[in-house]
Amino acid sequence: MMSTPLLEIEDLCAGVSGKEIIKDFNLTINEGEIHAIMGPNGAGKSTLSYILCGKPGYEITSGTIKFRGKDLTAMSTEERAREGIFLIMQYPVEIPGVPVTSFLKHAVNAIRKHRGEPELDTMEFIKMVREEGRKLGIDAEMLKRPVNVGFSGGEKKRLETLQMAILKPQLAILDEADSGLDIDAMKVVSAGVNALRSENRSMLIITHFQRLLNYVVPDFVHIFADGHIVKSGDKSLAAELEEKGYAEFVKEK
Amino acid sequence: MAGLIQEAELFGSDMPRIEGLREKARASFWLPTAKTEAWKYTKLHALKADDFVVAPSKFLEEMEGEAEAEAEEEHCCCGCHHEHNEECSCGHCHGDGEEHECSCCGSKEHLAFAAYELHFENGKFVPIYPATPRGVEIMTLMEALVTGEENHLLGKYIDYAKYPFAALNTAYLEEGVFIRICKGVKLDKPLALINHTQNGGENLLVNLRNLIVLEDGAKAELIEYYRYSGETKSRYFNNIVNEIYLGAGAELNHCRYQNEAFKAVHIALSSVRIKSNGIYNGFCLQKGADLGRSETQVRLLEKDAKAEVNAAYIMNGWATLDTTTDIEHLSSETYSSQLIKGVVGGEAKGVFQGKIHIAPDAQKTEGRQLHKALLLSDNAEIDVKPELEIFADDVKCSHGAACGELDKEQLFYMRSRGIGEEEAKQILIDAYLTDVIARIPDLTLREWLQHEI
Repeated sequence: MMSTPLLEIEDLCAGVSGKEIIKDFNLTINEGEIHAIMGPNGAGKSTLSYILCGKPGYEITSGTIKFRGKDLTAMSTEERAREGIFLIMQYPVEIPGVPVTSFLKHAVNAIRKHRGEPELDTMEFIKMVREEGRKLGIDAEMLKRPVNVGFSGGEKKRLETLQMAILKPQLAILDEADSGLDIDAMKVVSAGVNALRSENRSMLIITHFQRLLNYVVPDFVHIFADGHIVKSGDKSLAAELEEKGYAEFVKEK
Repeated sequence: MAGLIQEAELFGSDMPRIEGLREKARASFWLPTAKTEAWKYTKLHALKADDFVVAPSKFLEEMEGEAEAEAEEEHCCCGCHHEHNEECSCGHCHGDGEEHECSCCGSKEHLAFAAYELHFENGKFVPIYPATPRGVEIMTLMEALVTGEENHLLGKYIDYAKYPFAALNTAYLEEGVFIRICKGVKLDKPLALINHTQNGGENLLVNLRNLIVLEDGAKAELIEYYRYSGETKSRYFNNIVNEIYLGAGAELNHCRYQNEAFKAVHIALSSVRIKSNGIYNGFCLQKGADLGRSETQVRLLEKDAKAEVNAAYIMNGWATLDTTTDIEHLSSETYSSQLIKGVVGGEAKGVFQGKIHIAPDAQKTEGRQLHKALLLSDNAEIDVKPELEIFADDVKCSHGAACGELDKEQLFYMRSRGIGEEEAKQILIDAYLTDVIARIPDLTLREWLQHEI
């Protein structure tokens, strides 16, 4: 099988407010692959996910990022999302006054418009959202509530997963998707994530525990420290890391 | 700038009641300056050009050319004019209830929902009356004054020393309507006063005066809609005064929507007096005009009188929009609540002045006030002046003011889901105004104004 690169990051140096956090970072993710990046707190893992999404304030000093062969750095946040990048955020924000359903509808239609597809009919859309929601234990009442307002940690992550299921990205980035989740919620969220695994959809899982990787099993595991990858391997690396701790690997460099 | 007071031939100059009101007001008019406390934040530069003119009296014109006017009226498809949901025989309009132009009645546009509509074109009343239920009396203000129907209520409680533009309005007293909802009558559809300014309305000074009386136990919804079509840079000055009387147990939902041309001036005063158990529920959306002021004066006269005065304003460019309230609790166990929210962009300026006065005898009263604004640019400005005057000791009163900008994290979150930046901002602005719009009791009106934001 020929592997087609989806995301290519080369010699990336980047940071926020003048502070360089990502240093000489290299990573290629092919279509259909699941990569996990593991690293200690404060290593810059979230910075990497924000850089990939184009969050304002985060700046690239050198290096390139290509997504499906296109220069990602030239695109705005919304253009990247429309091209197929989706970030499950560690701390999803609350948006009072905007019901989940109407928020989702704006997002879906923005992406459909970008793909040259007609806007979804409201009834059709609501039916689809309810169906996808049911799989994740999200009921109709929750869909009427304002986005993330008063949601528990588990509900927030389930809503993130629902958005991913509906927006069907090509690259899903999971930033500490398991933080704040009890074991039941994690099973629901990882089942949702696993359901989206496919030949041409890739995932980048950012986490500092092995826990989530027992449910969403990666093809590759990278250890991230000091702004770049210090060691790569297969899923067994995660288990090794769990055993030895980060200190062992950070020393290796 | 006494230029606003001009020689004008008006109807009824030989009638002591009418001319008396005008004369007193003419003598009382004064133009606020930068030093006038009530106008400290809202500058009147927009009036400086001094070129506003008063349109000739339509009443006098009509009296001269009576026959002509009648012939014209017969041509108008009045069936379509007030009952637009019904099939219209004119064949020019769609009869679908959508706002549309009707070629045979000029360009009067209808509301998107059923209402008893009264139209004003460039400040002149279009004498077509909707078929209202028994117990609803609608006539021109001049007719009410000539016949004595208004019972000397007009201008009775307006202090010209305090309200100079009400004095100006009264100096040109002529246009406007008198509406009376008789005892116990509950209207099934809103009454709508639709003020349409269009080409030909340039530089006009329009003074509209409406007197609205709800007798004991009556209930109604009143819409005031100010709209514009024509040259975008057109200047005109709409100076509005509403006097509203609510009897015991009467209830009025009053909804004002100001969407004037962006160079226009719109100054309005609603003066409301409420008897026991009466409820006034006011909402004002200001969106248009270069200089706009919507002032509401409420007098809670008797026990259990209640008033809500809510407002929203959205602006850009260089506009100044002012919301001013003055609520007097004159009796015990009265209640008032105000929520005012604004969105200010460009170099625009939002002004809120809110006063709650509680008289010495007004024990066990409650007065609430909250103003919040969203600033969309660094050059936008908000001036807020809350005032509480409390002379009773057993009362619940509160006021608050907050001011912020769009949340960057919320914007990023929405954009990361593919929603464009401008669309995301608009969603957040809509959301910001949701709670104040939610205070409009009627669902149809709520949806209408939500859509207009």
